[in-house]
Amino acid sequence: MTTIWAGLATGALYSLVAIGYNVVLLASGVVNFANAYLIMIGTFLAYVCLVDWGLPVAAAIPLTGLAVAVIAVVEERIAIRPLLNRQGGHAALITTVGVGTLLGGIAAKVWGTEPVRVPSPFSAEPLTLLGGTIQRNDLVLILLVLALGVGLHLWSRRTLLGLASLATAENRQAAQARGLNVRALGLGAFALAGLIAGLFAVFVAGRTYAHFHLGETLALFGFVAIAIGGSGSQLGGLIGGFAIGLLYAVTARYVGDSYPQIVVFAVFLLILLTRPRGLFGGAAERQV
Amino acid sequence: MTTLSASRENPPGGNPRAGNTAVPALLRGGRPLAGALLTILVLVAPLLGLNDYWARTVLLVAILSLQVSGLNIVLGHAGELAVGQVFLYAVGAYVTGYLGVSHGITDAGVIVVCAIACAVVVGLITGIPGLRLGGWSLAMLTFFLVLIIPNLVKVLESFTGGANGLAPPVPTLFGTPLGRDALYMLIVAVTAVWFLVARNLILSRHGNAFLVLKQSPVLAGSLGVSVFRLKLLVYVTGAIPACLAGVMFAWLDGFIAPETFTFTMALSILAASIVGGSTSIYGALAGAAIVQLGQQSFSSFQDWQLLIYGAFLLVAGILLADGLTGLVRGRARRIVRRFGVAAPAGRSAAPADAGPADLGALPGARLRTKALCKSFGGNQALREVTVEAEPGQVTALIGPNASGKTTLLNLVCGFYRPTSGTVELGGRELGGQRPYRIARAGIARTFQTPLIPSGMTTKAFVATGRYVSHRVRVPAAVLRLPAFRRGFAADDAEAVRLLGLLGIADVADREVDSLPLGTRRLVEVARALAARPAVFLFDEVGSGLDEGDLAGLERAIRMIRDAGGTVVLVEHNFPLVLGLADRIHVLSQGGLLVSGTPAEIQADPRVLAEYTGSNAAGKTIGSEG
Repeated sequence: MTTIWAGLATGALYSLVAIGYNVVLLASGVVNFANAYLIMIGTFLAYVCLVDWGLPVAAAIPLTGLAVAVIAVVEERIAIRPLLNRQGGHAALITTVGVGTLLGGIAAKVWGTEPVRVPSPFSAEPLTLLGGTIQRNDLVLILLVLALGVGLHLWSRRTLLGLASLATAENRQAAQARGLNVRALGLGAFALAGLIAGLFAVFVAGRTYAHFHLGETLALFGFVAIAIGGSGSQLGGLIGGFAIGLLYAVTARYVGDSYPQIVVFAVFLLILLTRPRGLFGGAAERQV
Repeated sequence: MTTLSASRENPPGGNPRAGNTAVPALLRGGRPLAGALLTILVLVAPLLGLNDYWARTVLLVAILSLQVSGLNIVLGHAGELAVGQVFLYAVGAYVTGYLGVSHGITDAGVIVVCAIACAVVVGLITGIPGLRLGGWSLAMLTFFLVLIIPNLVKVLESFTGGANGLAPPVPTLFGTPLGRDALYMLIVAVTAVWFLVARNLILSRHGNAFLVLKQSPVLAGSLGVSVFRLKLLVYVTGAIPACLAGVMFAWLDGFIAPETFTFTMALSILAASIVGGSTSIYGALAGAAIVQLGQQSFSSFQDWQLLIYGAFLLVAGILLADGLTGLVRGRARRIVRRFGVAAPAGRSAAPADAGPADLGALPGARLRTKALCKSFGGNQALREVTVEAEPGQVTALIGPNASGKTTLLNLVCGFYRPTSGTVELGGRELGGQRPYRIARAGIARTFQTPLIPSGMTTKAFVATGRYVSHRVRVPAAVLRLPAFRRGFAADDAEAVRLLGLLGIADVADREVDSLPLGTRRLVEVARALAARPAVFLFDEVGSGLDEGDLAGLERAIRMIRDAGGTVVLVEHNFPLVLGLADRIHVLSQGGLLVSGTPAEIQADPRVLAEYTGSNAAGKTIGSEG
């Protein structure tokens, strides 16, 4: 059971990244590769708030959230906005990888290349739950990510803003013609994704430490979560993330330390080969 | 960047032809010679006193440039971002190490062949899943490949030596161990040969097909090209140089450890590709030189490299989405267009005295839809439409906007799958097949908004219509065999001839995307003709044409009909339809309203009501849409 708890906690990280991807994907049609790097920067900013400035957790969390949201908005303005009017190409792919790398470089330059421990808001005393042990921080992380994923799923289906976002993802021009401000939606989506990344950073750091290389792994595993869940499906991404986390933990426990990434990669290949639109995604038709 | 990118219309084998770009023909003819001289110079540099530091630098640039070339082929020509070169680099290095350490195989030739085989296998295993969706899936998949290198090295410790690394022995050639200078020459020679192969592949019809593929998969499909297979071909080809680079790295350093193959290296390759220009052939060399020298010259580069690469990718991605080349080309296009707009007027007399036009026999086939339905969600775009188009006849499809004409066309071409009903070509069921298969079955089409790629001449574009039907295989193109030369010349001659039939032979050597709309439509007709299909689908081919172009078009359509081809004309231009069509089908709100001869349609009150709701005769109908 301890393995399962560990898997769920790791999976929560991947789900969190997948949620961030989906928020932006739904509004802008762009996969924001830098999303995981926003979380990474968030963990360092949380460290600054908690340790350097000695702020209480209740102040550090919203402050980190706002700061990362601002970074995300800046990213949208410089890396995404100039590309929106261009047809085709994968320019956003390159620019968001660029932003992620830049954030990684900044983190390495400012805070060094060694992992930094961020103080957890919870005691280090593990809980015994359903026959396994789990850190309090991890349990909170799992529950919060679950709540966030389900909440966003309902929000996108039930509210006007959520539906508008879905419509924009479906067809930008048509949404624009209906009077939707697609630019504001896109910017809002980046702000929201940044806010989420920042708010959760404290809990993420409680599990992983703050490290400049954190972004790469999270970015890829978060994408596998989307590949499993179907792009744009918040519920699918949530389930995909937890599924990979469990797979990772179980493989690491029963096969060996070197295998989890390889196994996840094999699953990724398999999904792309057999269900390229994800287990929960529908088929899209091409148009002339 | 412009100067680095090779001109696409370089003559194969060096026979200079009239060109369209800024490079004078004379200079272009001399280019292969200059390249050969430069290669020889670099090759013999150690004998001329090149010191060890610079010799090593040259080799590192060569090795990096091979990786960059691998990326360029995929990114610049298939339009897919694949950053797995580092993985292939590792594969090449470990294959060399494993063969040398465990089996005592040191022969350079054997190792190179094994490495190429491994590159193809890895390319297929990762390319087949990755290219099903392409785009982000492929990018992430290849990033992931780089991430799992350390784990794979550890898991396969008995082959790779794990964290301890491997020390491959000195390579041999024909039994002789290679000394320092010989190894230098071998690496330079392999690099030069690769670039020659890449050049020959890209400066061929295949290169033009890659361009189409990158810019418009829809067009590629309707040319009969399987987008997936061609992308896979490009992707696997791009895997080869990266793997070779790994082999040569193993020879050069004589030691392989997993720490070499990092995410940062993948970023440096990407940066070098963008600096040099992803679509250019030799840009890989320039990009690799800049990045390599940057790394060597600044001692603090290591500390700053993430920041440098990140900032670089960001800036380059924004500014160079179309490439610097694109910026310059855009300006050139505006100048050309100023002349281009004036050109058609002077041409209008041409079709009349274009001499006896001969298309030969174009055996058509009967195209038939039966109770064809298509719905998008709850919206029924097409309801139970049964129409026929006979060979040797012009069948027109008319109807107001949103009546389902283009939907019908897209169903026939396979861009949509029918909800129910059938599409038959000469008795053969086509419904639900992929566009490229339908194109190969003998259906060619033009598009409402002409799909015109940039970066090729008009005659090269028209020749893409023959890419599938008159195929020259890749090896023939790479080795510049006689078959390739013959095919290239025949393609050109046919393209010019067809453009002549349409009265626009004068644009054959112009950049095709510099042409005005009316001429583009005619060029698309020529492109469709080049494939010699059984059925021609013309989607609003007459709109936007001036009198002269329209006359050329009418003449061409009559010619196709007389040659026996099946012509389907989707048109708003009512006078054109009345003049050309043997049979007219009128669509309305997704259903077939009425079918008949032009006279019957003209007299039908329902058609009048549908179009105008008034009592006027059918002469002003053509203006909408």
